[in-house]
Order: sequence, then structure tokens, then C-alpha cells
Amino acid sequence: MLFLTLARKTYIRNLQFRASHLIQNLASAIFGFIYISIWTGIGESRSLGEYGLAGMISYVAFNQCCLWVSGFPTNGLGMEASVRSGQIAMDLMRPVHLFYHLMSKEWGQIAYQFVYKFIPIYALYLWVLPLQRPASVSAAAATLLALAISGYIAICLHYLIGAAALWTTESTWLVYVNYAFSMLLSGFLIPIEWLPGPLAWISAYSFYPYLHYVPTRIYLGMSTVDLVAGGLLWCAALTLLCLLATRLMRHRVEVQGG
Amino acid sequence: MSWLRMYRILVLASIRSRMQYRFNFWFSTIMSALVNAVEFLMLAVVLLRFDHIQGWTIVECGYLYAILTLSRAIYRSIASDVHHLERYLLSGDLDKLLLRPVPILLALMTQNFNLRFGELLQGGAILVLCMAELMRQGQIGWTAIAPTLLAIGGGAVLLYAIGLISATTGFWLTRTSVLQNFTEDAAKTAAQYPMSIYPGWLQGILTGVIPIAFANYLPALYILKGEASPLVLAGSWAVALALTGLGLLFWRTGVSRYHSTGS
Repeated sequence: MLFLTLARKTYIRNLQFRASHLIQNLASAIFGFIYISIWTGIGESRSLGEYGLAGMISYVAFNQCCLWVSGFPTNGLGMEASVRSGQIAMDLMRPVHLFYHLMSKEWGQIAYQFVYKFIPIYALYLWVLPLQRPASVSAAAATLLALAISGYIAICLHYLIGAAALWTTESTWLVYVNYAFSMLLSGFLIPIEWLPGPLAWISAYSFYPYLHYVPTRIYLGMSTVDLVAGGLLWCAALTLLCLLATRLMRHRVEVQGG
Repeated sequence: MSWLRMYRILVLASIRSRMQYRFNFWFSTIMSALVNAVEFLMLAVVLLRFDHIQGWTIVECGYLYAILTLSRAIYRSIASDVHHLERYLLSGDLDKLLLRPVPILLALMTQNFNLRFGELLQGGAILVLCMAELMRQGQIGWTAIAPTLLAIGGGAVLLYAIGLISATTGFWLTRTSVLQNFTEDAAKTAAQYPMSIYPGWLQGILTGVIPIAFANYLPALYILKGEASPLVLAGSWAVALALTGLGLLFWRTGVSRYHSTGS
């Protein structure tokens, strides 16, 4: 039950900042309006394929909500700060694996962001936009499963980024690089079938579509739950990479004196 | 003049300090350029697929993007840590700057000097490519170069002013990242696209409240489209300078309200 204890503690700690986060939700919703305006501008004079203008508005709006599950975990799972302070040596000594420890804490963060960021922005969009609702209870359940997979992939990616802090003081840049690639290749702003050939190919063979494209397509009823199988394979592969990274970290870490 | 000399000395000291970690310096430079390149790729991918957004072609949007990138790169190069004032307020590190025999804003601006080499190079390359194509199409001539440079300069001053005002609120709020999300990040994202695609209320905010439209869109209306008066360039500079003046007054008030976190 260590998992639940760690996740719950992170969730409760976040509750203190609810008011501030509600303001942040407004900023996030405005970002969504900016992206929606782009598609409204494009869709006014052209066909938007199987999505149509209303479908693209729903696509972009739902992706904006999804960001709070897969787009904004704690940067590098907070490892950069613990490397700088030397705390990482203590964390590696704990009787629980570092990956499991940080992953459990991060699920608390994601659960908080789902309740206090995803849901309020989703509710706002339902109110002010023609945001499509899930077609059925099973579609909603499949979307939640796809979102959970996207959250896990995001945790693994940020664990690997955090691990890089042992090699460079500038590992934060990897967060920005990952975010930029995620915006481009995950289908966040533009569905991946509309990417030019080489980018579509890279995206198709990467984990990025499982962060946005797959959950949103399932939500809109354009794809079935079968698509999440690929995401599960990526979860397994990234978990192995995280375990390997931890092994490398153990060789690299230097304990500070004092 | 002595301030400029002091600024140069402090910047050189900051560069020397950063160059003690050469790998990190080049790593951050390359990563910053990569982030910007991917950001532009996203804009380009949308426009390549759909040709134009409300009458703005990919080349014209590239021009808007390049002006904004260069203005931002200049502002963040010259005054990098103004954006990070929150960090100083939370840690109490502003106390150290208060003890120095230089104006506190000048000291802050020279901390962690970071020449945004990657962004300058990338923004410059996109600008040259877009302007060359627009000249080839006969939409603009060589005479567009001077107003473009003016627009970039005005944009840098304007972004600095917006950044300064946002950061200064930290003297009252301590945490400024949420506000900066609105005033810097969201505004920057919005300004990468032509303002005409946004609903009226958003255009009003981006012109009257956070006047980022003066950084690239309004000058481009004159330079590229000929749809605005040449006075728009002077207007952009006037808005930028007025906002900077306001920002400096606000800063002075903020510093007088500063309470250290103690130790």
C-alpha cells in the first residue's frame, strides 16, 4: 500500500494550492481558445476531413484538457533538485526502488491535476463550446484507460529526463524539448494523419500519439479501445528503460560530504 | 553612459562564470534552438497542409514568427533573470543584489547572462528566408528591411516591459509564474499567428491589455500588407516606451515594498 500512501500524500499536499491552480486553469483554457481559433480560422473556408469544424474544435479542446494528465507532470519528477541538493543519494538508498517511489508520488500529482485541472477545464469547455460528449459509457471508460496509459508514459519520460540531471545541470531543457516534440508529434494541435510523410512516420513509430491522439480519438468515437495495446507495449519498454537508467544512476551518483 | 559600462562589465563577468561549464552552456544553447525549431515546425506543418490562415500565407506567418522570436531572444538575452525574479524572492537571493553598489534592476538583468544564440540564429534564418521569398514574389522590396529592424527593436522593448511588469507583481504576490503564463506564454503563443483569426474579445486583450499585437502583427500589417499607416511603427515604439516607463515606476514601488524572506 506504499503506492497509495505516497500518491495520497502528494495529492493532499497539492490541495493547499487549489486557489492558485484555479487561476492557472484560466490560463490553460485561454491557450485552448487560441488553438481553437486557429482551427476556426482554417475551417471557415476549407473542409477538415472526417473531423469537420465541430469535430476539430472538440479534438483540440479535449487535447487541451488531456495536457493535465500527460503534458505537465512534475519536471523530471523533481530529480534535478534532489541531485543538486544531494538528496538523490538518500533516495537511492531507500528500501524501495527509486522508480517505484517517484512514480507512486507522481500518480498523486496526476490524480490531483485530473480532479482540479482536467475536470474544471473540461466543464468550462462543455459550457462554452460545442464540445462533443463521449458516445457511450464504454467509450468514456476506454478514454480513461487511454488517459491512464498516457499518464504512465509521461511519468516514464520525466523519470528519464530527471535521471539526466546526474550528467548535466541543464536537464530542464530536456523537459522543454520533450514538450515541443510532444506538441508536434502527439497529434496535440494537428492530427497525426495530417503530418507530412517523414513526421507522420516518426510519430507513428513513437510513443507520442499515445499521449494525445489515441485518448482523444477514442473519446470522439473515431477509434476503438484496441489502439491502447500499442500504448501498453510502450509502457513496458519505457519501464525497462527507467530501470536501466536507475542502474546507471547508481554508478554515477557521488555522495556529498559535510 | 556609466550604466552601460557597468552593464557590460557585469555581463562579461556573468559570461565568464557560465563558461566555467562549457558543456552545459552549449547544451542549453542547442536545446533552446531545437525547441524553437520544433515550435516553428508545428506552425509550418499546419500552414503547409492548409496553405493559409485567413489570407496569411506560410511565408507571412513565418515573418510574424521570426519578428517575435528575435524580439524575445533580444529581451531574454539582455535581461534574462527579470523573468526569474520569483526565484530571487522565494530564496531571498534578492538581498544579495540589494547590497551591491549598482541599481538593483541592472544587477538582476546581468545575472546569468544568456545570449540566446540558437534563437537569434533560427529567428534570423527564418526572417531572411521569408523576406527573400516575399521580395521574389514582389510583395515587399528592400525598403522593408529598415522597418523590419525597427519592429524587432520595438518588439524587444515591448516584451521587456511586459516581462518587467509581470515580474514586479512578485513583490506583492511572490509567485508570478501563473501571471507570466498569461502575459508572456499565452500572449507569445497567440502572437505567432495573425490576430485576425481570434475572436474580438481576445484581439482586444492582445492589443489593449497585453499589447503584444504591437510587437509583430500591427507592424506586419504595414510592412507586408500595406493595410496600416506607417505611423503604426512609431505607435509600436511609443507603446513599448510608455509601457517600459510604467514598468520602471512600478518596479520602483515594488522594490520599496520588498520584504526579505530572512534566513
